[in-house]
Parts: sequence; C-alpha cells; structure tokens
Amino acid sequence: MTVLIKAGGMLTDYLKPDVDAFTRRVEGPDGATLRQLLESIGVPPGHVAMAFANGGLVTLGYTPRDGDVITLRPPVQGG
Amino acid sequence: MRIQVAPDACTGCRLCRQICTIEKFGETNPRRARLTIEAQFPVPGKYVPHVCDQCGDCAEVCPSGAISRRADGVYVVDGELCSTCGVCFDACPHGVLMKGEDDVPYKCDFCWACTEVCNTGALVRAE
Amino acid sequence: MVKGFGGSTLRIDLSTGTVARAPLDPAFARAWLGGRGFVAKVIYDEVPRGADPLGPENRLVVTPGVLSGHFAPSGSKCCFGAVSPLSNGHGDSTVGGHFGPELKFAGYDLIVFTGIAPSPVYLFIDDDRVELRDASRYWGQGTMDAEKMFKEDLGEDFEIACIGPAGENLVTFACIGHDYGRQAGRCGIGAVMGSKRLKAIAVRGTRALAVHDLPALKKSTMEIIKRTAQHPNMAPWQKYGTAMFVGWSNEHGVYPTHNFQTTYFERFAGIDGQPLVDRLLVSNKACFGCWMNCGKYSKVLLPGREAVYVEGPEYETGSLCGGNCGFDQIEQVAYVNWLCDRAGIDTMTGGGMASFAMECYEKGLISREQLEGHEMRWGSIEDFEHWVDMLVHRRGIGDAFARGYAAAAAAIGGGAERLTCQVKGQGMSGYDGRGAPAMLLSYMTADIGAHHNRAWTITMDEDLGKNVIRGKAKVVVYLQHIRPFFDTVSCCRLFWGEVDVTAEEHIDALRMMTGWDDYTLDEAMRLSDRLWNLNRAHFLERNGGPGRRFDYPNARFYEEAVPSGPSEGARLTMDDLDVMLDEYYVARGWGKDGNPSREVLLDLGLDACVANLERAGLLGGLMEPLPPVRGERYKPKAF
Repeated sequence: MTVLIKAGGMLTDYLKPDVDAFTRRVEGPDGATLRQLLESIGVPPGHVAMAFANGGLVTLGYTPRDGDVITLRPPVQGG
Repeated sequence: MRIQVAPDACTGCRLCRQICTIEKFGETNPRRARLTIEAQFPVPGKYVPHVCDQCGDCAEVCPSGAISRRADGVYVVDGELCSTCGVCFDACPHGVLMKGEDDVPYKCDFCWACTEVCNTGALVRAE
Repeated sequence: MVKGFGGSTLRIDLSTGTVARAPLDPAFARAWLGGRGFVAKVIYDEVPRGADPLGPENRLVVTPGVLSGHFAPSGSKCCFGAVSPLSNGHGDSTVGGHFGPELKFAGYDLIVFTGIAPSPVYLFIDDDRVELRDASRYWGQGTMDAEKMFKEDLGEDFEIACIGPAGENLVTFACIGHDYGRQAGRCGIGAVMGSKRLKAIAVRGTRALAVHDLPALKKSTMEIIKRTAQHPNMAPWQKYGTAMFVGWSNEHGVYPTHNFQTTYFERFAGIDGQPLVDRLLVSNKACFGCWMNCGKYSKVLLPGREAVYVEGPEYETGSLCGGNCGFDQIEQVAYVNWLCDRAGIDTMTGGGMASFAMECYEKGLISREQLEGHEMRWGSIEDFEHWVDMLVHRRGIGDAFARGYAAAAAAIGGGAERLTCQVKGQGMSGYDGRGAPAMLLSYMTADIGAHHNRAWTITMDEDLGKNVIRGKAKVVVYLQHIRPFFDTVSCCRLFWGEVDVTAEEHIDALRMMTGWDDYTLDEAMRLSDRLWNLNRAHFLERNGGPGRRFDYPNARFYEEAVPSGPSEGARLTMDDLDVMLDEYYVARGWGKDGNPSREVLLDLGLDACVANLERAGLLGGLMEPLPPVRGERYKPKAF
C-alpha cells in the first residue's frame, strides 16, 4: 500500500518529508502494522506520542490501507 | 459569489469579526463587524454566523435610493444620499445591516477577509 | 496612554461601595506587563501579611493582559488572582473564552477589589459606566444558570465571569466560571470572590484597541494562521482537544488512578478523546481569536438523568475526575465535569479531593454515617453527586473537605494525610510524578502549589530517562521561566507548545501592539524570574520558613512504589526528592533551605523582599556564583 505520513516537531528529522514540509509518501506491504511501517523508514515508534489515520485516533498496531493519510504527533509538550 | 456558511463548523472564535473591522475600519474592534456570530448557549450549544447575502431587501425599502447594486451584485451604501431615516435596518433579514456612529448604515461588501481568516470551513468564499 | 493596553484601572472598595478609576501607569505596565505580573505585584504590595485570604483585606485582582483582544495567536485570557486560601500565598488562575478581550474593549487593564460587600453584588461595566449592583436574584444559582440570567437581563453581548454556590460558601477550591464552561480554576480564587459577596462581573466594551502598528500585526498574524493551519499537530488538536492525552498518559504510566494509588487505568478506552468525539460532541468551542478551538462542547445523556451540557471533559478533568475516581465511561466523566462546573468547583482539586474521599472510604477511614448514610465508592455517580452536595453546602464532613486537604485529613485522622495528593494545599494535576520525577519536582516547587501550568516535563523526563533524578532541575527552572510568560501577556501557551509559534514571535506581536521596540525575550525572562522570586518571598513572609519544608508532597510519592502498568515498580525516595530540591535551589540561586538569596533578589530589583525577608530571618545563603540569567541559560536543545 502507499500512504502519506505527516509529522511535525522533532519527528520531521526522522521522517525526511518529500511531498511538502511535513509529508512523506511511503510504500509498504499490505498487512504491515503502522509500527512496522515506521520502523522500515527509520522513524522510531517510541517517539510517536499519538497517531491518527484520516483524522481518527489509532494505535501503532493499526494496519494502514492504501491511500490513508497518517498523522504522527511527536512527543507531547504538555497541556 | 457568496459567503457560504457552514454553522456546524463555527467555533465562535470571532476571528472573522476581528479581521472585518481591521480590514474595513483599520481598527481592532470586533463589535463593529459586518457579520455576526450568534451563540446559542447553553442549549443547543452551537454558533451560527449571520452574513450578508446581498439579497437587496435594504435597497428595496430605502426611500432615498442610498443603497444600490454594483455590477458585481454587491449592494453598497452612498452616505451622501442617506437621510438616516433608519427604515433599512429592520428590513435586513439577517440582522447584518449595521448602524454607523453617524446613523448611516454600513454593510458587507464581499472583501472576503473573513473567508481567508476562517480555517474551520465555517465561512467559505463560494460561487 | 499605553498602546496595546486598555488604558484604565479600577479600584473597587466593596465595603463602602466606592468605585475609583485611574489611568494605567505606563511604567507599571512596562515593569509588570500584565496578567499574573500585575496580580503578583499588587497583592505583594497591598495585602497585609497576616490578613485572612477570605477576609476583607485580601485583594481580588482581575487583569486581562496586553495580548487580550488583539489580532494575535489566542489573545484571549484573563487572570484572576489573590492570596490563595489553599496555600496562603500568591495565587492566580487564568481563564480563556472572551472575558479578557471584553475588558480591553471597555478600556480596562486592572481591577482591584478590596473589602466585603454588605450584601451580594455584581460589578456592572459598560464602557465608562461602572456600577456595583444588587446580585440577590443571582445568588445561589449555578455558574451556567447565573450566566444565562445575566445575559438575559443585560444583553447577550455582555461577557460574564461568575462564581457558583461553592464560591459563595467559601469552598477553598472554588473557581470562577465564564462562557458556559471555561474556568479560572486553581488556587481557590472563586472562594475569595465569594468571601467578598461578589457574585459576578458583567462587562461590555465598544472601543477599538490602540495598536502601535496594526498593518504589521495583521500581516504577521495572517502568516502565522496560514502556517499553523498546515502544521500536522493542528488538525488532531482541533478535533480532540486535550482529551486525546488520556490514552497517551496511560500508555506512559503517568495517569492518576484511584487517588494516585497507581498510574494506569485499564478501562481508559471508554474515557479517551475518541469516545468524547463519537458520543458527546455538539460543537468545537474556541476562545477569542483562537483557531485551535480545543474546547469540546458536549451533550451528556446519563441513564436516569436529564441531558446536561458541558464544555469538556478536557484532559485534567478526564484524568482527575476520570480514572482517578474510577469512572470508565465518558458520559460519567462529563457529568461529573458538569456537576463541578455548575457548583463552581475546580475539577482538578475537586476530582482529587473526591478520589481522596473515595480512598478514605475504601480504607474505612470514613463511615456511611459521616456521609449521611451514603457511600463514596469508586466510579459511583450517585455517591459523587451526594458528596459534592455535602461539600458545597458544608454539611458534616463536607465542611472539612471544603476547608482543604489538611483540614480534611485532620478531621478524618487515621493517617489520611499521606493520601492527600497535593503540595502547599493545591491538588496535583493529572500526572503522577513517580512516572516522571521532574514533574514531581515541578509540583513541589510551583509557586502556587502543585500545578502543571508552571512546568510540564513528562516528555523530557522520558528523554532523559524515567528513573533519572539528577540533571532535571534546570529544565524545570527553564520551563518555569517560559511558560508563565504566556500567562503574563495573557495568551494561550498552546501555540508555542503545539504548533511551533516561537516565544520570539509573541514578543514581536507585543512590540507591534505597544510600540516598545526595545522589548526583548530577555526582558520577559527576567520578569518571569522576578515574579518567581517575588512570589516565593510573599509565600515565606506569610507562612514562615524555611521554604524547603513546604516543598514536599505527601508520603505516597516518596514511600510507595507504583503497583501496576507501564511505570510498575517506579519508586522515589526522600533522598531522591532532596537531590532534586538541592539541584533546584542551586539553579535558582537560593539557599539549601529553599530561601531566596540576597544576591538574587537584589539582582532582580526586589529590594523590598530583601528587607522583609531579612527582618524575618528568611534570607537564604547563595550556594554558587550567580549566573547572569538563571533560568534562560538552562534552555534545553529541544526548545
């Protein structure tokens, strides 16, 4: 599947965006979890505070589908 | 052209009213804005923007011909012709014909600043 | 006339009913900036050291701050301050919504209330018209009901800040409500307002703000709006608000559960951000001038009860009134939120106090008899509802709870004190410091007692190591410089915290508003340092010293290991706490006893504090050579 992954803050360095300042196009095998996908592109899952698929909260165990837009939150700066 | 309103997307932030007076009067005074945000609280808990849709009702009732339609469909007020009779204010179905300090009405002329500042989709410039 | 500001101050003597207006002194404005800066200076100078916080000599200070009302990232806040009945020291709490801006449009930067009204009043402000009016018809009403009545009576375009029955009855953690669901929640400022028989302030303003360079400000803010709208953090924030942190907090083992007995709540999935959005959400609700719209306005249908409407639950409520009290359904948490908001109780100390009551009941330290035949069980809406009723009306043991943690523990006995999760009387925020030691240090050293708004450290704690104790104090000091800056200029710190609007950009906005071309971030950080030391001096002058003895939490946090979840086994010792405090005092330029040193106070121009503390024998001995700007030099790379 091919997905778009967006992230800001300290995750940008790991993500290496190629579509715009925050976004990278990523390909992965169908059935891979978000955690596996992130590991395959060098984004440490431990630095991901929260993840969203198409705007909805998901866990790192989520299985991305072709065309998904995944947003990653970097470590939280707090309330 | 029109200002398309999606009330469900309005958060009551009033950025639209701020930018309106900055744009048209060069001052920060949202109370003088040319659109209103109706806050329906505590129940049902929604915000409803009221904007000018250039319906022309104000022009229709004006006895002095002070409000007229521009080529682009926008209704504008000519203060010189206004007799300050005040009949137009009640004619506005949206309550967005505003009374100036000199009792002359002023109104939205589709400068689109509110649609540029709104990023929730509540106010959108549309065909 | 100081550009950017409203221009006038009001001094109201409630005992005599007099109202005096004066122009805002430009030197005062430059020196103390506004918001909590004005609060700290006014109460330090004016409130006699022995004065009862709920007596006539305490001041209630209301100040909107310079950014409020302007076209700038969330210029929306208003600060309410006084000597706090919780800590008996400086107290301040900031509320969002639209109240601060309306005060600015009416032309006011500072309102100081003294005395006590002979009967309930409210302050009516309509531009220049300022009157104290009879509030007997509103007295006794919940905050949302009262706000509705005021708006019906005066006009929808009035902004209202009011207390509920909890404030009227002097519950020490009572809050001030505004805009159907926003609060100035902490420090019990609502009780101070109630002690003065001041039910509300109603304000309408029709003036334009004076801005030094409006075209530049407009251009700069439009760029920030466009840039931040694209930031990946913005969309989730707009959708979920802080409620999305419930899951994160559990996964990181810092979520307070059952009165901080542990730090992981297994059933958290039912009270996270997703169930809020799926089951409760009516509207996203924003503060003035804010496009992050973190507010979530909810309709709550609990079986057997009529629908209620509440703004929330945001994270602090979702934790302290969530798993901390054993509620596992979002409807329950939202209902509890509504109970507290309506009564005018801080949901944070309120949730913490309720969970303390629940643990006391669980351990047999409180009886059904003391609870008027009711119980106080984890996760019971009926029990919580009845407990709030006893608290607000101060019946029986409700009176002890109303007087605060120390009074409640003393009345309950049986070693209950170890279970009071607070520092200096203020309930902890929704993070358990055993999973994040620097967060505990933040609670221990915050000037107003335990509160995360001064320093929020959990991510840094993890980066440096959850078990690491040394080397973290300086990060806490840095955060205690930068975060309060936003409270001083009265805007929301979340633009800095979440979508990378820098502190320098806020300073730029300040310059464009005021024309203070030479104002720098350094000056702002020095003010933060000055306020910190001023508030510490004020606390010591009122409470005695040495300061160190007030800087510890309850024994749970240095005697108990976390029993479950991702932080299972985490345990801090008294030695650990002492190591952190020692490092902290060095970073602050204070003595080992936690008292500010003469050198630091003089360096900050706080000569009056030197004189007062010296007279009381409360000056500390500087331990190391004085670094130039104590807090800013500890700025971590992540910032």
